[in-house]
Amino acid sequence: MIAESGHYALVLALGLALIQSTVPLLGARWRDVALMNVARSTALAQLLFVAASFAALVTLHVTSDFSVVNVYENSHSLKPMIYKITGVWGNHEGSMLLWVSILALFGGLVAAFGNNLPLSLRAHVLAVQAWIASAFYLFILITSNPFLRIANPPIEGRDLNPVLQDIGLAVHPPMLYLGYVGFSISFSFAVAALLEGRIDAAWARWVRPWILMAWIFLTLGIAMGSYWAYYELGWGGWWFWDPVENASLMPWLAGTALLHSALVMEKRNALKVWTILLSILTFSLSLLGTFLVRSGVLTSVHAFATDPRRGVFILLILFIFIGGSFSLYAWRAPSLKQGGLFAPISREGALVLNNLLLTTACATVFIGTLYPLALEVLTGEKISVGAPFFNFTFAPLFVPLLLAVPFGPLLAWKRGDLLGAAQRLTVAGIVSLVVIALVWAWTYGGATLAPLAIGLAVFVIAGALCDLAERVGLFRIPLSISLRRARGLPRATWGTVFAHAGLGVALIGIVCETTWNSEYIGEMKANDVAAVASYQLRLDGLTQRQGPNFREMVAQFTVSRDGEKVALMTPSKRNFTTRGASTTEAALLTRGASQLYISLGDTAADGSIAVRIYHKPLVLLIWWGPVLMAFGGLLSLSDRRLRVGAPKPAKAAARALQAAE
Amino acid sequence: MTLWFVFALMTVAAIFAVLWPLSRSRPAGTGGSEVVVYRDQLAEIDRDMASGIIAAPEAEAARIEISRRLLAAADQSESEGPAKGNLKLRRMAATLALVGLPAIAASFYLTLGSPRLGDFPLAERSRVVDANQPLADLVAQVEAHLEKSPTDGRGWAVLAPVLSRLGRYDDAVRAYRNAITYAGDSADRRADLGEALMGTAGGVVTADAKAEFERAVAQAADNAKANYFLGLAAEQDGRKADAAAIWQGMLAKAPADAPWRPLVQAALVRVGGVAAPALPDGAVAAAKDMSETDRNSMIRGMVDRLATRLKQNGDDVEGWLRLVRAYLVMGERDKAISAQADARQAVAKDAERLRQLNEGLKNLGLDG
Amino acid sequence: MTRKQRRLTLIGCALAVLGIAAGLVLNALRDSIVFFSTPSMVAEKHLGPGTRFRLGGLVKPGSVKRGDNLAVTFTVADGSATLPVAFKGILPDLFREGQGVVAEGMLDPSGVFRADTVLAKHDERYMPKDVADALKKQGHWKDDYAAKPSASAAPTQGAMR
Repeated sequence: MIAESGHYALVLALGLALIQSTVPLLGARWRDVALMNVARSTALAQLLFVAASFAALVTLHVTSDFSVVNVYENSHSLKPMIYKITGVWGNHEGSMLLWVSILALFGGLVAAFGNNLPLSLRAHVLAVQAWIASAFYLFILITSNPFLRIANPPIEGRDLNPVLQDIGLAVHPPMLYLGYVGFSISFSFAVAALLEGRIDAAWARWVRPWILMAWIFLTLGIAMGSYWAYYELGWGGWWFWDPVENASLMPWLAGTALLHSALVMEKRNALKVWTILLSILTFSLSLLGTFLVRSGVLTSVHAFATDPRRGVFILLILFIFIGGSFSLYAWRAPSLKQGGLFAPISREGALVLNNLLLTTACATVFIGTLYPLALEVLTGEKISVGAPFFNFTFAPLFVPLLLAVPFGPLLAWKRGDLLGAAQRLTVAGIVSLVVIALVWAWTYGGATLAPLAIGLAVFVIAGALCDLAERVGLFRIPLSISLRRARGLPRATWGTVFAHAGLGVALIGIVCETTWNSEYIGEMKANDVAAVASYQLRLDGLTQRQGPNFREMVAQFTVSRDGEKVALMTPSKRNFTTRGASTTEAALLTRGASQLYISLGDTAADGSIAVRIYHKPLVLLIWWGPVLMAFGGLLSLSDRRLRVGAPKPAKAAARALQAAE
Repeated sequence: MTLWFVFALMTVAAIFAVLWPLSRSRPAGTGGSEVVVYRDQLAEIDRDMASGIIAAPEAEAARIEISRRLLAAADQSESEGPAKGNLKLRRMAATLALVGLPAIAASFYLTLGSPRLGDFPLAERSRVVDANQPLADLVAQVEAHLEKSPTDGRGWAVLAPVLSRLGRYDDAVRAYRNAITYAGDSADRRADLGEALMGTAGGVVTADAKAEFERAVAQAADNAKANYFLGLAAEQDGRKADAAAIWQGMLAKAPADAPWRPLVQAALVRVGGVAAPALPDGAVAAAKDMSETDRNSMIRGMVDRLATRLKQNGDDVEGWLRLVRAYLVMGERDKAISAQADARQAVAKDAERLRQLNEGLKNLGLDG
Repeated sequence: MTRKQRRLTLIGCALAVLGIAAGLVLNALRDSIVFFSTPSMVAEKHLGPGTRFRLGGLVKPGSVKRGDNLAVTFTVADGSATLPVAFKGILPDLFREGQGVVAEGMLDPSGVFRADTVLAKHDERYMPKDVADALKKQGHWKDDYAAKPSASAAPTQGAMR
């Protein structure tokens, strides 16, 4: 009964979504309040039914009801409870159900907390949201139904891919989906604005919290996914430029641009048409990501789906939504009113530059990801575009972006003073030069680019702090007043500081890990000692252990430094009996922000074992950076105050303007 | 019936969600408007100026800009006019919900769903299927009793075969030994003990087991079980002729209606000895059939048990070699290789055993 | 500055950045893409030593030989041709004889493929897409997906509650 009720709830959600996608539009057209309010109640009811459906699937997985095909194929009665639950979205059908659940969640949130929106805008937004939902409900019900049954249930399930039996899987896809799907709200807002033919600063004010929320989740989701790959795949890599990773990076880049352009729109009523375009683009890229991952056009460890029917269906959804929204844009955008004016050198100008670089970077990732697919479809030739491509194209675009980051917040709205901003950044510049010199001297004869990159990262961090110091008047006025000002600063300002500093922190981690990473690969026997960086690692021995649904061989290493014992590390190799597959469980030892990393290979004839040991200096900064950025986003989100971008009056800025022109 | 009732309830809830806002004559909340946002922004400028974040001229410029937007927004909302009610459309929407929603739901669900299938959670199913459950309870009771009075020979004698059947061979061996100690020695018990010992070794007649069978035969020369397994021991040692001789001897002495006849005949066919000619062809054919199907599953069971035992205690080089050989014979090269890797890890600490293992593996044609 | 001038400045900047990006992309595409090949394609095209490519196929059963210090050699086959591969390092978890594999590297003068990375990112249910496609074309690959149980709505006795 649970399975069938869940199935029926999903069908009802489709019915509600169909009503929600039509009736409120009619209501908005005829200005009927009751009809427009249907959007709200149906969105909430839809959320209720999808949540019930998802809860039903979770229950089925937990109780190991193998009469449900999805449970039979992806679960096993011996699987630990936590993986029974995470297994729900570790497969195609379940993850699509999670996708629509999150879509319904966002729709429900707009319905519940959108009281400050004009009725017709809310009706439009929810209707567009329901179009997306209807399309995906149909997709799930027709091509990937998680509630199909087997009349004669087998005794035992077929287990989940062992690589996916990991706690990283519990949190990383839902986070990513919250990000991906969160951008559906800004998409719906954009399409609603185009339908209504009206857009202004207030629109940006209403949509910005949703963009910010989606962006926070996506940032955390990408960081988690990267950390998961780092410790689960056993290669010690944290970013592979894998198409699946690129699929999540593209919406992030576009979403970051959107976040900044919406800021301009909210405060200065400018860049309106561009912001609408970015909203559509960001969600289109999210849909594209869903297509790439879910259709199985790519084959990597993430792509569990291999049914062409699904691919064609998602492709159809993709064409309808992306094509439809861009056509609507081309048709309606020229009629939208032009926004405010600004000089090229100004806060707005800086944000335009940010948008330009971010979208261009996004475009290069797009080309690198889709070019091989397109080439294969057109000519049949198979190529792979690997990390070098992205390093050559992505890095040169990010360097000017990072250089410009500290300047942005220091420029005034409407017309800014580049020289003044540069003066205020002198301290940051000096600090970064000193750091470059120090790092260069310390690693004399080593990599030449690395000290420069670290200097750039320090410049970004110091620049963010300079901005803060400037705002509170640190050292110019008494400290007590500065402190009071700091308290009085809008939380959004603090958010900017944290997010920008996070960028620098992540860059330091990336540079240190890639440049000064040391490794040892070799065969070891019991009591052999390997020296990596300043550590000595002794293999104490190998033991066998029986886990709940796997058997593992555990190696024990004693880590010492200068003859002093530091810790024990126990990497292992697991053998999953049901699928006959094995996974490598790397052992990590965290020392400050640096890590030692051990993963095991095969056993050789003489009883020795292949071992891979890495020392990764400051590697954790790679993930602390995004966490800082997300924290900054959270601060900004919690800022309930309305921000105004006070323009610099022409008189006071005349001198600056001359200098700039 | 419950299911349909739940479906009906859900449908009603869904329809209600659509009808509710339609039914309200005076809808709550007419929504926000841009005017509110701009008014808030104006208030914000004053607050910022008071706290010294922006200067007076900037504040003035901002105020002018926002006032302009405010006016535009106010004009807009005025020109749109007040909200109207459209009764005809509302009725249409209500009809859509009342008829359309159930129709969509029914048409999708009836084509895709399986309303006649109930749930099959594992817990419930194992309660029905697993007939061993009461047996296990019973065993637990007897074991608890024997814990208190460990010299109850009859108790051990009852418990031992049950444990054997449950696959708890280690406990069964202990139980048989206790039964022999406290309830008296007998050929049957010795033979059963030997069989249990074989169970712990994954179906291999170990030296211990063989000793028990020999003791059984010493007590009663025509104990069928002991004789059969002694034959098996010979077969496992590769002495097929001896095995055939033992089994032929059994058949010669046995009554024609002995229940174990087909089994022994099948074994005899296996080692190439000829079955007793006195039997009709049908019986031989039956035995052959059995040797194809039952034997395979029996061997598989033995190998699995051996593998499990080696996982727990990996010191046994002979055992590992036997396991690898078994996999090779069964044509499962993959498993053989993985067993070989396991073996090497298991004995890696002991140089002498490792040498033995590698030598043995070489003989099996598996190296590197 | 008039509105038009401002707009031109913006467009100029945008075009400059896009131009640079296009240059970077084209340059990188020329230098850093890698073609995919199977052993029979290698034989047909007479790929010479020194060209980097990705080799895909099945690991020939019984061909894996381990040498000292993590050196491994194995043979990749695609039904009609084989190619010996030498690799030094730790093979991925899913590397197995008879399974699909993708190796990246180049041929050496003696005709041995020197791989610097070996990928086997698949479970036993599917193989790398390139390999599957190539083998399907040659008819060496049968889809075992038919084994998937089909759901049916057939009533089961006693199932109603």
